[in-house]
Amino acid sequence: MALALGPLAACAVAAPPRPAPVRLEAAVTRAGYRLSLIPAPGARINARLKPVLELTDGTRLQFDAPALTADSGYFAEPPVIGLERRPGRLRGLLRVGVCPAGLNVCESLALPVDQPLPPG
Amino acid sequence: MAKLLPISLAVLVALVPGGEPRPAPAWKNVSWLNIDRPLTLESLRGRVVLLNFWVFTCVNCTNTVPALVEFDRNYRARGLTLIGIHTPEFPPYAGEHDEGNLARALQQRGILYPNAQDNDRATWELYGIEYWPSFVLIDRKGRIRYEGYGEFHLGDAWYREWSHRIEALLAE
Repeated sequence: MALALGPLAACAVAAPPRPAPVRLEAAVTRAGYRLSLIPAPGARINARLKPVLELTDGTRLQFDAPALTADSGYFAEPPVIGLERRPGRLRGLLRVGVCPAGLNVCESLALPVDQPLPPG
Repeated sequence: MAKLLPISLAVLVALVPGGEPRPAPAWKNVSWLNIDRPLTLESLRGRVVLLNFWVFTCVNCTNTVPALVEFDRNYRARGLTLIGIHTPEFPPYAGEHDEGNLARALQQRGILYPNAQDNDRATWELYGIEYWPSFVLIDRKGRIRYEGYGEFHLGDAWYREWSHRIEALLAE
């Protein structure tokens, strides 16, 4: 299940709308949920500053993955976190550094998350 | 302006070709490394200043450091002051705000030029920066002459372009 993300924090004022450079997917596991950050084609997620999901209850969840690019700068596979089973919605703020394809810069995104979790 | 261009085209952009250069705004950072007192824009009048907005967790930024170290080595004595404006991406819990972490990053990467901690992003916002890494080149009269962003490397086309710009301003 893909969770919708809010608007990009770093959008240029007059630039045309861009698709989100990452999407958050939630899968049901035995213990609860596995949340994965899926980069848009060509985009890379900064591994030196691991993405964080700040839940509204104050919990901070840090994404990680064992496989990195050769320069150890980016994740070579989608970083994930485990989340214990809980009712209701996933609410919080996703912070992630993304380096878009074909652009030698990084953006720091703060993306609101407010979506139902898939039924277990 | 660079921020209005389609993102895929805007790797590095000269901001004020043919226009009237605007005065560089005065930064007020109080925490500095590699120098024993805060640097002010006013105190640098008469020198060419290259601001590099970066953070040590940004791969594109650290990939550009060798080129910047070379600029510092080549041009400092001729009148260039290179300043790193270290601007964190995440809140303090990520460690980017920590002076000790920044000091280690400077040492590891052989950075000898002054660096200001911009933990509240005041200078980032003052200059309207959006991306890591970004660059602002200021002439001897304190005016912004070029702005751009994006990783570059020793000897590549953008390295040569920035070298050309620096040398042109040093010659004025």
